[in-house]
Amino acid sequence: MKAIPFDRSVLKVNQTILMTCIAGAYFAGVFWRPAVAALPALALMMLAGAASPRTNLPRLLYARVLKPRHLVRPRVVEEDPAPHRFAQLVGGVFLAAASVAALLGAVGIAWILGWIVAALAFLNFAFDICVGCIMYAQLVRIGLFPLRRRPETT
Amino acid sequence: MILVALAPVIAVAIVGAAALALQAQRAGQRRLVGRRVDLPADLAGAAAPTLLYFTGEACTICHTAQTPALQRLAADAPPYALREVDVAVEPALARRYRVMSLPTTVVVDARGRVAAVNTGYASTERLREQLDEARRAVAA
Repeated sequence: MKAIPFDRSVLKVNQTILMTCIAGAYFAGVFWRPAVAALPALALMMLAGAASPRTNLPRLLYARVLKPRHLVRPRVVEEDPAPHRFAQLVGGVFLAAASVAALLGAVGIAWILGWIVAALAFLNFAFDICVGCIMYAQLVRIGLFPLRRRPETT
Repeated sequence: MILVALAPVIAVAIVGAAALALQAQRAGQRRLVGRRVDLPADLAGAAAPTLLYFTGEACTICHTAQTPALQRLAADAPPYALREVDVAVEPALARRYRVMSLPTTVVVDARGRVAAVNTGYASTERLREQLDEARRAVAA
């Protein structure tokens, strides 16, 4: 069996996009209300990224633009990507809920949910505290996750 | 409108409170080091250091990296007792060692004191050093 090489720089790119887009859209929304449309766009990005690495826009941006131009350095570690994908899913669900709230006219609730995602992204970016990953571990601990062991290869 | 204006403050307060709670939990786990924690009954009184390996079926990195690291350790390290703990099967034991993420490895010396706690993947070399340290602490 081999360890999984996982590039943490992809996460940093994702978190940077989230923080800048949410903060930017929030302040732009003061002058231009349709800026709230950033929330469903980011929700889609997060959910697509959680669904498959091939549809993960921050990963593609990192792999095809930022890394080849040496704008972001790789930070490869032996780590399980599953908790991070779960965290991305949680972020996507929060942003989807924010989008629904905005659609129903509850713009305040929408921005609270959006800022929660931005704050969680900052926490992970600056301090490597991944709240979604901790939630994932707790769900594994209480057995809520599908108990499917990967087939062992020789 | 007020809710929109206060949205960043409310969100930061919620996330900040959650982060503080997590930090407190992590600090609690670090405080285990040097303390005596009851080992599982099957390991009580072990003469060699004990390595508790907290894992779970859905923990991919446990199967792909941590377990092979432990296999390498078993091949060339001096004797020690290894106990694999599936957190879904033994949640009480996981709570006793304040396990919040997988894998977690805990080195317990022969006196029953926690010598080291590793959250996340721990390399063969790191574990070997911690086991050696646990032996030296008992011999001293």
